[in-house]
Amino acid sequence: MIKRYLFAFALLLSLSCAALSGINVKADGTVGDTEPGAIGSVVTDFKLPDLDGKEQSLSSLKGKNGTVLIFVGVQCPVSNAYNERMEKLAQDYRARGVNVVGVNANSTESAGDAKAHATSNNLTFPILKDNGNKLADRLGAERTPEAYVLDSSNKIIYRGRIDNARNPSSVSASELRDALEAMLAGKPVAKSSVPAFGCTIKRG
Amino acid sequence: MRRLIRTLIPGALMLALISSLSAPSVSRAHAARTNAVEKCGQAFAPGNFAPHEQQAGAQRKTTASTTAPVVREVDLSGLKKLLSREGREGRPLLVNFWATWCEPCRAEFPDLVRIDNEYRARGLDFITVSIDDVSEINTGVPGFLKEMRAQMPAYLLNTTEQDAAIQFVDPRWAGSLPATFLYDAQGKVVFKHLGRIKPGELRAAIDKVMSNK
Repeated sequence: MIKRYLFAFALLLSLSCAALSGINVKADGTVGDTEPGAIGSVVTDFKLPDLDGKEQSLSSLKGKNGTVLIFVGVQCPVSNAYNERMEKLAQDYRARGVNVVGVNANSTESAGDAKAHATSNNLTFPILKDNGNKLADRLGAERTPEAYVLDSSNKIIYRGRIDNARNPSSVSASELRDALEAMLAGKPVAKSSVPAFGCTIKRG
Repeated sequence: MRRLIRTLIPGALMLALISSLSAPSVSRAHAARTNAVEKCGQAFAPGNFAPHEQQAGAQRKTTASTTAPVVREVDLSGLKKLLSREGREGRPLLVNFWATWCEPCRAEFPDLVRIDNEYRARGLDFITVSIDDVSEINTGVPGFLKEMRAQMPAYLLNTTEQDAAIQFVDPRWAGSLPATFLYDAQGKVVFKHLGRIKPGELRAAIDKVMSNK
């Protein structure tokens, strides 16, 4: 009997530890033939609930000319530094057939938390709750904020940062907007993958 | 079920007690405005980079005093020099990227300090690289390090080329914090962890790299 309790305790402990930890990647970085979220790969349709619990899909949310998926957080100061810029981006490109969709994949933040945050920060673009990090895993999303640009056929043509400075007055490169402009002009994206420091997505 | 809960609760309490006894507190107090700042040009002169032991030793002596740790400012080329192990070949290197605004970074720091204390004398170099805004170099960053009693050489990355810095460290790293990289004595990355470290795993990786030194 005691053995069973001990086993249950050990199991609980290991599950808690796993929940608290981040992604562990092999030193050589090998992930298989195709890296999740690789530039040029196509994102197949997915279904996720919005912050009201209503199921949405990529096919229902995508823009006529393209879609921007941005992994966001409620508590991440880097993501929060971009709230106004993300909203402006959504408004600027909506009329041009590109929809911005936020994705909250943090297991530590509920749909209610994300909804209250969106309301208080005037975020009007749709935000999805990625329970179990399914979409984050499929795209290899690692941090907030991290943006993916999908063209009209859902092919990833850009992934990475929104721009190069947390402080809006210091921005000197806006790679996400550059990628959108290139896409809308039918030109190749000059810088298609640009990393940036941000908060780790808290996987459940 | 009740019996199971009754069995689990004492175990959980014991675990919490052990953790609280062994970990320095992670409060948010930001103190210390008196530490010196060194630019990377000075910091990476071979004579300055090499004596980690002397530096660490000096810091150890003042641990009990009120002196905050020195945080050195580095740019992209400074970071490259740091990671190239110039003058430090033959010693494994552990690098932790963090920021004061990053909660999991703060949460894992007590474990990092313990690991530094355990392994430095055995030949491990351990440096921390903060990516806080440079305005924090005299305030928030040394304040937190002091609170943690951190003695590893501390740097703050100040560059407009953060993307280049991230890609230099690891082309597959998107820049999430915290991030911890372990280099062997030949400068090859042998272990990396994105997110809060698992101390047991990191210790095992360090043990392995130390035994292969």
